[in-house]
Amino acid sequence: MQILGINIEKITENLWEIPKHGGMLVPGRIYTSLNMLETTLQNDEAIKQVINVAYLPGIQKYSLAMPDIHWGYGFPIGGVAATDLNEGVISPGGVGYDINCGVRLARTSLEYDKVKNKIQKLVENLFKNIPTGVGASGAIKKLSPSEIKRILTKGSEWAVENGFGNLQDLELTEENGKIKDADADVVSSRAIERGMDQAGTLGSGNHFLEVDIVEEIYDDKVAEVFGLFKNQVVIQIHTGSRGLGYQICEDFLKVLVQAEKKYGFKLPDKQLACAPINSNEGQNYLGAMRGAANFAWNNRQIIMHLAKKSFLDTFSISESELGFNLIYDVCHNIAKIEEHLIDGEKKKVCVHRKGATRAFPANHKLIPIKYQSVGQPVLIPGDMSRYSFVLVGTEKAMNETFGSSCHGAGRVQSRHQALKEAKGRNLVDELTKSGIVIQAKGYKTIAEEMPHAYKDVSEVVDVMHYAGISNKVAKIRPVGVIKG
Amino acid sequence: MPFKFIEHTADIAVEIEEDSIEKLFITSANAWRTSVMEGSSIQIESSKKFIFTSNTLEGLLIEFLSELNFQLYTHKWVFVSVKEIKLQELTTGFQLEVEVLGQSFNNGLHFLKAEIKAVTYHQMMIEKKENIFSTRIVFDI
Repeated sequence: MQILGINIEKITENLWEIPKHGGMLVPGRIYTSLNMLETTLQNDEAIKQVINVAYLPGIQKYSLAMPDIHWGYGFPIGGVAATDLNEGVISPGGVGYDINCGVRLARTSLEYDKVKNKIQKLVENLFKNIPTGVGASGAIKKLSPSEIKRILTKGSEWAVENGFGNLQDLELTEENGKIKDADADVVSSRAIERGMDQAGTLGSGNHFLEVDIVEEIYDDKVAEVFGLFKNQVVIQIHTGSRGLGYQICEDFLKVLVQAEKKYGFKLPDKQLACAPINSNEGQNYLGAMRGAANFAWNNRQIIMHLAKKSFLDTFSISESELGFNLIYDVCHNIAKIEEHLIDGEKKKVCVHRKGATRAFPANHKLIPIKYQSVGQPVLIPGDMSRYSFVLVGTEKAMNETFGSSCHGAGRVQSRHQALKEAKGRNLVDELTKSGIVIQAKGYKTIAEEMPHAYKDVSEVVDVMHYAGISNKVAKIRPVGVIKG
Repeated sequence: MPFKFIEHTADIAVEIEEDSIEKLFITSANAWRTSVMEGSSIQIESSKKFIFTSNTLEGLLIEFLSELNFQLYTHKWVFVSVKEIKLQELTTGFQLEVEVLGQSFNNGLHFLKAEIKAVTYHQMMIEKKENIFSTRIVFDI
């Protein structure tokens, strides 16, 4: 079939290929359904971006896209690309401005039916304790530049050392909340300044904290290992590295736009700016990006601790009665050096995941001991009124997608369209009637983020499930939301 | 209004037309402010001077707008207007000297409606046709 004049060939019901042509070094592959190809992707430049990524020097196997693919900067959102460590490049466009934007899921022992009368109070407490909104600040005291530098190298460990969590939280965070080889010395003073009062803040846009209940279990065995049961109250946190991460991306895009000329690359889009992984520019970006990733893990760790405190205050019960524990924390905007099978041989590559979640299988050495028997949790948030999903990583993901899965729903309406559609409606009332308590900085945010501004995430998740890339474990639905 | 917002699914996109390159920069700054905040009480309290250099005009515009963004979110300082602007071509690129006027952000007076993560290179191309300078700017939010 043809989309925007691009030839796309069907491999399976859920996998489509763009044959190598022009300057592409590898073919493009998109995990999606025929329906999504014919509807949401019909007028989207994202497919062209899959082709552009295939031009990157050193790219391996395929330029990949997950089913939540949509237009991004340089890479499409939902894009995955692995590059050779010697011949290949690192590109900030393959990570995004919000470095280590990610999702954290924590469980409680609470059953919704027994606590539903207190959800309103809980949401009020969460909103009071966790700074949200544009330029949100002040969750904890303003930190000094040297303290921020410590966060850049220590990640979530900093939060735990400062009383915002426990050692078990670190075990249940991707990279243990501290990716190695972060280099605080290559992070600009501007980036550090932007982060000084933002540790423990949620931010704005599509970032949120949700109180959810487990509505459906698809895989009893895996759900039990994850600590999930039907009717259980859980929380989901979606945020990233805030202004510090945005600044690092901006700083290095500026440097790497120049590197294109220096290294003689011919790239089809300026936002694909990149540098050889083994160059000074490449190594410096990787070091700074890892620092931002650590800042983000620390951020979500602090927010989770503040959320736990809000639960304890609201329900006036003991910690053991509450049973509040982290299930997992995954990032969906990052570049990591990982080992994968390329042409039958194990090889270290740089995997860019831009709006894509790591989805490693059972027995992989990089996932927590607790999940060794089943695979890592893959957390896929939806919109604020329908549902989100918990999936589990598979061996097939290792073989086909460099151990990656989708990351969410993706917008289908602009903010302007959403505001127009919300006119004359009382969305807070509509959400309340469907059993969802919401608190946000302003009504405009609620209108812009209204559920139908987003794709139905179940369609996205089904593609991953039926393609065998990550399997459905549980569906959770929101009962309380705080937003910026 | 010499700028207009255009539909963008995830972010904010704006198109600008002006009859000089300096005015294009000033209007871009006004479009940035309209994108991020509302507030009836915009008053001038202080001024700030900046010098930027870049190989390209697009790079220079990104530098300028990124600085306004940084001033707002980090120094809580709101850009109001441009007092002086001088843009010149160097042998290696371009230089912008600019003095901007503004005020401290005040929660009671100003309302931030969006957080711009960054001013992107996407679709940015400063063109001159029949003495009209134009560009598109996409803000990542």
